[in-house]
Amino acid sequence: MTPPEKEYYHAIQIVSDNCVGCTSCVKVCPTEAIRVRNGKAEIDTNRCVDCGNCVTICSFHAILPKSDSLEIINDFQYKVAILSSSYAGQFTEDIPYATTKQALLELGFDEVAEEAMVTDFMTNLVRDYIRKHRDYRPILSSNCPAVVRLIQVKYPSLLPNILHQEAPMSILTRYLREKIQTEKGLKDKEIGIFVIVPCVAHVTAVHQPEGAYKHLQDGAFSIGMIYGKIRERLRKMNGDQKPIDTYEQGLTWALAGVEAEMVDCDDIRALSVNGIDNVKEILSKVEDHYLDQYDYIVLRSCTNGCVGGCLNVENPFVAMSRIKKLIKNSKHKVINTSELKELYKDGEFAVVPLEPRSIMELDHDIKQAIQKMKKLNEILVMLPGLNCSACGSPSCYALAEDIVYNKASIDDCVVLLKRHQKEED
Amino acid sequence: MAEYWNINPQYETAVKHFLANKPEAEVTLEFEIGVRDFVNSGKGSAEVKNVLKRLGIDPTILRRIAVASYEAEINVTAHSNGGHMTSCVYDDLVYIRFVDKGPGISDIEQAMVPGWSTADDLVREMGFGAGLGLPNIKKNSDVMHITSEYGDSTALEIMIFYA
Repeated sequence: MTPPEKEYYHAIQIVSDNCVGCTSCVKVCPTEAIRVRNGKAEIDTNRCVDCGNCVTICSFHAILPKSDSLEIINDFQYKVAILSSSYAGQFTEDIPYATTKQALLELGFDEVAEEAMVTDFMTNLVRDYIRKHRDYRPILSSNCPAVVRLIQVKYPSLLPNILHQEAPMSILTRYLREKIQTEKGLKDKEIGIFVIVPCVAHVTAVHQPEGAYKHLQDGAFSIGMIYGKIRERLRKMNGDQKPIDTYEQGLTWALAGVEAEMVDCDDIRALSVNGIDNVKEILSKVEDHYLDQYDYIVLRSCTNGCVGGCLNVENPFVAMSRIKKLIKNSKHKVINTSELKELYKDGEFAVVPLEPRSIMELDHDIKQAIQKMKKLNEILVMLPGLNCSACGSPSCYALAEDIVYNKASIDDCVVLLKRHQKEED
Repeated sequence: MAEYWNINPQYETAVKHFLANKPEAEVTLEFEIGVRDFVNSGKGSAEVKNVLKRLGIDPTILRRIAVASYEAEINVTAHSNGGHMTSCVYDDLVYIRFVDKGPGISDIEQAMVPGWSTADDLVREMGFGAGLGLPNIKKNSDVMHITSEYGDSTALEIMIFYA
């Protein structure tokens, strides 16, 4: 692997004391970023895209999600929470959405905004972007941070196809930051804007945003962590409801498929894909120009979209059903987006051209890379080809690669070891 | 025996040199292409693509190789009685050879015309057979060479340089 040019932040931590070396995480990692060495899992920070598969699969509490603790809001004079849309699907239907929003406010925020507020605006932005970038087909959605990182790591030729505009929660952040500064007469650093997120990729995106020109959020709280506090708060509130505005209509953002349906129109054909294995298959087909008939592809790493994120408490299908009900029963609300449109026109939501994270290449120098590949192939034919992961590498190919990099030895292969033992007997 | 050549003039000397010497490849990949096996078709070119990614080939060149080899592989699947794909990777170019078991192309010049296709209903149902396969291979490769005998096999060779 080529030496890392920068340290990548990840919202995933390994608690080595809890790790039993079972290799479950090794097998589910879409970028082969995890190895078990000396009985403990290790993550290659250059390869990890923060999809959260390992967090979900680990049954030993050895791979834990990282997010900020709620106390950090006290460092700011004016505190704003932005709700990711999947939050609405976490609560049973006897609790009104407005009440859960009020409870969040009572946790110490001055203002609670919703990703859902900018959904209509986003749909128009995406359509406009697609029409203005005819040279690239298909345009690939950029709102799932795990997908953006997956493209940087494994499909660098598709980077120009990514929609180079901020995701909805960041667009809302940019807008609110400016608005609050003007309306409340506060300085930028006095305002704390936080997102309540469904997955580790969004936590990472807050701490190390890709392509951001400006200061965005000040922290990311896990829906799972907030959920516990909200339940507690709801008990204390005891049905004491205050009138609170909600934007159910825009909750579509949390659901895979719906964004694509919204963007799809006479001159734009959109496709929706969810689940990281499906995303990988589709991206490979896009590389082959097999999907050029689509103008836009919505790609989400998690099952059913953001409702499938590993920081949610509810099952993705139940959450999706609840959100659909909320949308169905919602009343049409007109949201004034003229200021957002102005910001978009001024290019305020554009992002820096995304750079590849080329972990795929064996060496910067092609001659060296070829030599390494030859060595790799020589080792590969000696290995049993069972891809059992017992050595701690995800496949025989990955073990061969690790041996080439002197990160493993052929003696790590348990199957070969057993065969040798039999021969000796 | 009918033949078709298309060579990017920029590489004419290099191509002549290559064909005269037929140097040994650094890495060779072999792949069997089954008759109408659309489930597995594309895996051969995906394998080539993954090897080239590991060698750090420029992404734009990589996509040209991906398209040309994918189209060619689909062609063998859709139109032939099965065949074989051999991919030879060098440090400056990739050479891929497809040889099928017939039935051969009756008129190569005609087959090169965009939109012209002999694809049957099954192939069209799979979303292929738009008559853009061969023209697409030509567009994305530096060398395209077809030899075919009607009633016998077809061989397609493509070469793409990295720089």
